[in-house]
Amino acid sequence: MLDQENLSDVSNLVSDIKHKKIYNSFDVALKTEDLLEKLILQRQWKSARELMKLVKSRIKFIRDDLPTEATATNVMRHILKIIREEYESASKKKGEGQSLHQLVTSNSSDILDYSESLSSLRSSILDHLGEYKVEIESSCDNIAAQASEHIHMDEMIMTVGKSHTVEKFLKCAAKDRNFKVVVVEGAPFYYGHSLAASLAKSNIQTTVIPDSAVFAMMSRVNKVIIGTHTVLANGGLRASSGIHAVALAAKQFSVPVVVLSHMYKFTPLYVVSNNHEAFNICASPADVIPQSAGKILNDIEVYNPIFDYVPPELVTLFISHQGGNAPSYVYRLLSELYHQDDYDM
Amino acid sequence: MSNKSEIIRKEKVVQSIVIADTFTDEFVPISDNIPHALLPILNKPLVDYTLEFLSLGGIEEVFLFCSVHSDEIKQHVDKCIKNGDGWTLTMKVNVTVSESCQSFGDCLRDLDARGLLRGEFVLLEPGVLSNVPLLSLLEKHSEIVKADKYAAMTLILQESGIGHRGRGLEDILLATDSLNRVLFYKNLGSRKTKKIEFPMDIFLENSSISILHNLKDSHISICSSSVLPLFSDNFDFQTKDDLIRGLLMNEEILEGTIYAHVLQGSLFGGAVSSWRMYQSLSQELMKKWIHPLTVTRNKNRVLKNNVVIGAGTTIPNSAKISRSILGASVSIGHNVTVEDSFIFSDTKIQDDVVITHSVIASNCTIKSDSKISLGSIIGTNTVLENGTVIENALVQSKQPDNGDEYVKLGNKAFELKVSSDDDGDSVLSTTSKKPYRLHITDIESDDEEDDDSDGFSDSEEELSYTQSPVPDDTKLFFSEVIDSLTRGFDDNLLCDNLILEINSSRYAYNVTVKEVNFNVVKAILSMSLREPIGVQYFSHLSRLLSYFSPVLKNYIRNEAAMLDCLQALEDVATSGESFKEKWVIAILQHMYNKDYLAEDIILEWYRNLDTDGKFVEHVKPFADWLQEAEEASSDDEDDDDSD
Repeated sequence: MLDQENLSDVSNLVSDIKHKKIYNSFDVALKTEDLLEKLILQRQWKSARELMKLVKSRIKFIRDDLPTEATATNVMRHILKIIREEYESASKKKGEGQSLHQLVTSNSSDILDYSESLSSLRSSILDHLGEYKVEIESSCDNIAAQASEHIHMDEMIMTVGKSHTVEKFLKCAAKDRNFKVVVVEGAPFYYGHSLAASLAKSNIQTTVIPDSAVFAMMSRVNKVIIGTHTVLANGGLRASSGIHAVALAAKQFSVPVVVLSHMYKFTPLYVVSNNHEAFNICASPADVIPQSAGKILNDIEVYNPIFDYVPPELVTLFISHQGGNAPSYVYRLLSELYHQDDYDM
Repeated sequence: MSNKSEIIRKEKVVQSIVIADTFTDEFVPISDNIPHALLPILNKPLVDYTLEFLSLGGIEEVFLFCSVHSDEIKQHVDKCIKNGDGWTLTMKVNVTVSESCQSFGDCLRDLDARGLLRGEFVLLEPGVLSNVPLLSLLEKHSEIVKADKYAAMTLILQESGIGHRGRGLEDILLATDSLNRVLFYKNLGSRKTKKIEFPMDIFLENSSISILHNLKDSHISICSSSVLPLFSDNFDFQTKDDLIRGLLMNEEILEGTIYAHVLQGSLFGGAVSSWRMYQSLSQELMKKWIHPLTVTRNKNRVLKNNVVIGAGTTIPNSAKISRSILGASVSIGHNVTVEDSFIFSDTKIQDDVVITHSVIASNCTIKSDSKISLGSIIGTNTVLENGTVIENALVQSKQPDNGDEYVKLGNKAFELKVSSDDDGDSVLSTTSKKPYRLHITDIESDDEEDDDSDGFSDSEEELSYTQSPVPDDTKLFFSEVIDSLTRGFDDNLLCDNLILEINSSRYAYNVTVKEVNFNVVKAILSMSLREPIGVQYFSHLSRLLSYFSPVLKNYIRNEAAMLDCLQALEDVATSGESFKEKWVIAILQHMYNKDYLAEDIILEWYRNLDTDGKFVEHVKPFADWLQEAEEASSDDEDDDDSD
C-alpha cells in the first residue's frame, strides 16, 4: 500500500493523456520510457522483483484508468522484459558461463525468482533502456526508409484518416517515386483532410474521397497503406473507424493492405468483444447527428465508435522498423517483445 | 494549441467559480439531506463531473462556493484529493463557505469582497456538466475584450432542437449583432410564450442582427473581472439573468456589454437546475453526448434498455426495468416494474411495486403493491407502507416542522402539499396544467396541444416587460422633480441648487435630455395648477414662473427644448385637470415675453397641432396675436426698406 501514494508519476501521465497534452502514440511511448527511466534511476529498489512490482503496479493503474491506452502499457511490458533479461545475464555472469548441458537440462522448475540484489543491475538496465529509447525515436524513420521497397512508380495508394507514420512513409517514397494518393476523409472526424493537405504541400498528387466512395475507387488502387492504433495478439487491428470497410473492399479486389506499425503498438492482448468497453471508445454522437436535431434524439440510440476491429485475414503485411511481417507471425514478434509471464496480469 | 495554452498559463492562473447551491426549492425534499452538488448522477456525485470537466477544460484554480451543507461538500472534496482523483493533479479546489448567502448574486458579492479572483474567469452555475474546452473560450473572450473594453461576459449557449428532452425549461432567445454582441436577451423559461416584442432601437442602431431562438443555456459563462464589481454595485442583481437584463437596459451607465457564443459540433453544456434537467442530463451522459465525461465503469454496470445499476444491486428475473438508473446496493423484489426512474443507493423495493417517472432517494423502503408515478419525489429514509399509491407527490420521512401543509402517509412518510399560489418556480407547483417534474413522453405531447389553445393569454402578460421599465423610470423622475421644485418654492431655496438636484436625479433614473426638459416644464406647470383658482391666481402664477425663471432658462436653451416645453404645456393642458380660461395664454405670453420661446417655434408648433382638439382654441388667440404682430413687424421692415 506504500506504493499507492507514489503512483503520482503515472497518474500524471494518465492525466496528460486525458487532457490531450500528449496525443500521438509516439509521444506517449517516449513519455512512458522516460517515466520508467526515472523510476529505475531515482526510486529505492533492492532487487529486480521489487522493480518489476513497481512497474506492474503502473501497468495496472493505466489499464484501470485508460483501458484503451495500449502504447504505454506495451512500453512498460517491454521494459519488464528488459529487466528480466538483464537480471538473467547478470546472475549468470556471477556464476559460471552457461553450458550446453545446462541449456538442455534446464526445466521449468528453475524459474528465476529475481530476488537477488545485484549491484550492476541498475546500470545495465539503464544502458539497455537507452538503446530502447533510440529504437523508439528512430522507429518512424526506419519504417519510412522502407517506403521505396513498397511503393512503386505510378502506383495508386489509398490511405484512411491521418497517421504520422503513413505521412512520413509517403513523403519519403515521394522523394524518388511518382505516385498518386487517394485519401479517405474518415467521417465523422475528417482527419483525412489534414493529411491530404499536408501531402499536397509536398507535391504528391492527392485526391480526397468520402468514405462512401471507397468501394468504387478500390478497383483502381494498387495498395492500401494505413496506420493503426494497436496490433492485437492475433494479428488483428484496432484502427480508426472506417478502416474495416476499407479492408473488406480491398479484400474484394485483392488489393494488398499494408499496415505500418511501431513495435510498441503490438500488444499481447486479444480482442474480447468488438464493442467491449476495453476495446472501443464511443465519442459524442453529436459528430454524427447534431444536438439541434430535436425530438428524434429522444427515440434513437446513436453510437459513434472511434475504433474498428479489423480481423487478421484482411491484413496482408505489417511493416515495423525491423521489416515486413505477415499477421500470422505476430505471435512470434510478441514473444520477442514481451516475456510470457507479463502477457496478462 | 498546447503552445497557446502555455502562454496563457504563464501569464496567470486560470480560475473558475463554481456556485454549489441552487437557491431554489426545486430539489425538495431530497435536497434537505443531500446537497445539490452531491446529488448522484449515474451513481457519482454531480460535483465530480463538474470538477473533472473544469480540469479537462484547462482550469487550474477553482473556488467552489457553498452556503448550505458546506461541511459535506468539504468532506467530499477532501476525500477526492486524498484518493487522488484525476482532476486533483492539475487543479486546486478551494471550498469557500458563506452561510449568509441567499442567492447567486450574494455569492458573487461575497467573492468580490474576498478579492480572490484576478482577471478573467469561468463562472459556473450549480450542477454543470460539459465537455467544452474552456481555454479556447477564454482566449476568445480576451480577444473580444481587446476590441471592446466594456465586454463583461461571454455567454456560452448550446443549440437544441425542438422536442428534445432538455428543451422547454431553459430556452433562450437572443438578438445579436455581427460581432455576437447580445442586444436582446430573453429567458423563455418553462412558459410557452407565443409572442415576443423586440425593442425598436436594436433594429435602428444596427445594420445587421441575428435572432437566435433554438438555444439553451449551458450555465457556463466567461467573465471579465468587471462582473464581480457589477454584482456588488447592484444589490438587486440576484441571478445571472438579472445581470444580463440590467446590463442590456442600462448599458451606458453600467458600462458592460455581453457577448454570446454558441457551441458547435460535439461540444455540450448543460446544468442540473431542475429534475427535468437531471433526467435529461443523466440520459445524455449515459448516451455519451458529454464525452469524455461518461459512466464510471468500475462501479456501474450498463444493462440494456438504458439501465445503469450500481455495485451490489440485484434484480430478479421477474422484474421489468427500463430507462432507469439504480444506485448501489438497491434490492428489488419480484414482479417490480421500474420505468424512467432514478433510485438512489440502499433502497429496498419489495414485491409487485410499480415505479414510473419518479425519483427515490437513498435508504427508502417501498413496501409491496405500492405504486409511485408521475414525477413523484421520495426523500431519504422514507418508508412507504403496503399498497400506497402516490402520483406527482413530494414525500419525506420527517414531519414537516415549518407549518407547511402535509398529509401523513405513514410513520415515516409525509406528503408535502405545495401551495398552488406559489409564484416561484412554476415547475414545482402541482396544478395539473404545469408540467410534471420529470419528462413524460406520452403526456408531454398532450400538454403541447393544450397549451396551443390558451397560450395566447399567457403571452399577453409577458409582453409588457421589455417596455415597462422605461416609463417607470421617467415617472419616478417626474415625481422627484415635482418634489424638489415644491420644496424649493416653499422654502425659497436657490434655483441653482434645484437645478443641481434635478440633474442628479436625471442621472439616477437615466432619463434623456428631451425627457428632462419635458418633465421639468411639466412639473412647473402642474405646480401652477395646484393653486386655488381665484382672483389672486394670475399674480400668483407670474410669481411662480418668475421664481423658477433660472430653472426654465437653464433647461430651455435651444429650439428642440422649446418644442419640448410646448409639448409639456400641451400635455398638462390636455391631461384633464381644470384650469382657468386664460391659463394657456398667460403661460405662453409669459414665456414669450421672457424670451424662453421664439415666435416662429410657437407658430410652427401651433400649425402642427391637432385642429379638432379643445386645446387649439386656447392657443388660437395667442397665435393670432403673434401672427399679426409678425405681419406688422414685417410691414414695418418693408416700410423701412422702401424708405
